[in-house]
Amino acid sequence: MTRWGMVIDLDKCTGCQSCSVACKAENNVPHGSPEEHAKRQAPFWHKIIAVSSGEYPAVRIDLIPMPCMHCDDAPCVTVCPAQATYRREDGIVIQDFRRCIGCKYCIVACPYGARSFNYKEPEEEEYHRPDLPPERADRGTWPFPHRVHGVVEKCTFCFHRIDEAIKEGKKVGEEVVPACAEACPAHAIAFGDLDDPESQVSRLLASRQWMRLREEMGTSPKVFYLTG
Amino acid sequence: MTTEFVALEGKSRGYRFFAAVLAALAVAGFVSFIISYLQGHQVFGSNNVIPWGMPIVLAIYLIGLSAGSLILSSLTYVFGKEEYRPIARMAVFLAIVLIFGAMLAIAIDLGRPEKFWRLFMFFYLNNMKSMFAINGILYGGYFIISLVYLGIIFSGGHRASRIMGIIAAGWAVLVHMGTGAIFGFIAARETWFSPIKPLEFLSAALTSGVALLIVAVILTLILSGRGLKKEMVASLGRLLMYFIVILLILIIVDKLTHLYSPHREATLYMLTGQYSWIFWGFQIGLAVVIPLAILFTPKFNKNIGWIVTAAVSVVIGVFFERYYLVIPGAAYPMQYYPGKIEGVWGATGSFPLTPVEILLSVGLIAFLALIFILGLKYLELLPPGETVKEVVKENEEEARPADNAAETSERREGDNEGE
Repeated sequence: MTRWGMVIDLDKCTGCQSCSVACKAENNVPHGSPEEHAKRQAPFWHKIIAVSSGEYPAVRIDLIPMPCMHCDDAPCVTVCPAQATYRREDGIVIQDFRRCIGCKYCIVACPYGARSFNYKEPEEEEYHRPDLPPERADRGTWPFPHRVHGVVEKCTFCFHRIDEAIKEGKKVGEEVVPACAEACPAHAIAFGDLDDPESQVSRLLASRQWMRLREEMGTSPKVFYLTG
Repeated sequence: MTTEFVALEGKSRGYRFFAAVLAALAVAGFVSFIISYLQGHQVFGSNNVIPWGMPIVLAIYLIGLSAGSLILSSLTYVFGKEEYRPIARMAVFLAIVLIFGAMLAIAIDLGRPEKFWRLFMFFYLNNMKSMFAINGILYGGYFIISLVYLGIIFSGGHRASRIMGIIAAGWAVLVHMGTGAIFGFIAARETWFSPIKPLEFLSAALTSGVALLIVAVILTLILSGRGLKKEMVASLGRLLMYFIVILLILIIVDKLTHLYSPHREATLYMLTGQYSWIFWGFQIGLAVVIPLAILFTPKFNKNIGWIVTAAVSVVIGVFFERYYLVIPGAAYPMQYYPGKIEGVWGATGSFPLTPVEILLSVGLIAFLALIFILGLKYLELLPPGETVKEVVKENEEEARPADNAAETSERREGDNEGE
């Protein structure tokens, strides 16, 4: 069984935000005006947090890129009343805009702040792209034909890239990776199948020390951070 | 005790003026809802840190009032407490209006309110693990059960209304504990995550329900020129006092358990942070200290004016308890990684009260008040007046003498059973 996961090397990460920018570009996530940023209403699928600890002069700054953690036991999937958020067979937690009623319960329940609400009609509604395959061909084309306000959005691990790569027989994790991993100039982000012992992510996890965020929540995230 | 119920005449100038004002406010609220629907929730103060705003505050507040009010009506119809019979019908009707308002408030808060039906596709399109889906069953069932309950009360069957009263009161308890579970089951939010939350919600519901009932009953009875039984108000006041004491205990236990565990930053923020004046001033001051001081003082706790003061204070205080839970309760940043998160991702959330949101809330409450006073006019909810309007009442009663007689005799039988 495939279980897509991400491994982020914190030693390599410089906090350049390329991943966040690439995510916005790839998924057409609205930029948000300065006012919206001040009101914290701008959507983010990917963010980098800077965490300081200690006191001057012994200060330490950790830069943590945070996509959706795609938890195996995701609180958002548990609380969504409309089955708009669900876990795919390959472990990707996905958000269906057509089913989402916008109750925001998942934003409340997510321990990682990975979810954003669409507070206004996006200027660029385009989400349908002919180069992407339909997820469910039996029900027409792409499940999210265009963006609307009033629904919740989140990182998808760029599932359109993965699905297309599998269709075309390319190797996911080597030839095709999510936009954030592709954009990282330091090659800090690796993507691949966690259940495949030969994959790059499995090898990294076996050879290095790693941690996951907020383990105490028991969500078992599929984004791993290499710390040493 | 013979109690008949009549409808409000509703022809006076004051009534019409009041109804017109409420209708205007309700229209304003509807317009602001349309604005929020067309423009998106950017017109609200909610954001990605504090996702839920005033509609959810109102929803849980109204559910609390409704459940409290309905449970009180069961004192008459289930436990045979005759002193509350004059207000029991009003309590049931109030409960129906309030749960309707609560469901409306939830629909308003949805980003796509036209998809609200997805909340009611039980076991088919719903994820039944979600507290929202479970509460869909609870709220919907509660609305239907209360309607049936009121219908049975109107038709006057004593046994049936007793059975229905038990079902309705039990269901009301479930409804409010389910509402508490929406918050209590969220592990990600330290201030909410607590097994006590359902019980705390229930006790807050009973407290605010009794308080609102006192206010609504006295306002209605005085404004329609009806007599008021001092003992009934005093005993409602005593009931209110017990509920407040229980609520206070649960608040203290809840805060203590949160302070005892190592994850205490968010609770400390709630108790000492920038919005803590809401907690100390409104939730503790208005909802607990002032009413308890009034209700514990022998000089005041028999006086209708003081009891109403205490009740108004509780109604306002419990509203701010809900406000404090939903809005500042979500403001403290989540600790994604040990240390101090710098910049915007570690900042506490702010919640500006926008005009659209305020108008929406006021409009919703005005709409409910309008339904309530229209109900008073078109349904037989009130005990008969003893003063000026007696002539009109008699005319109305002549129109249905048989019904009233049957009701009264059945009630007398019931009274004997109860004794």
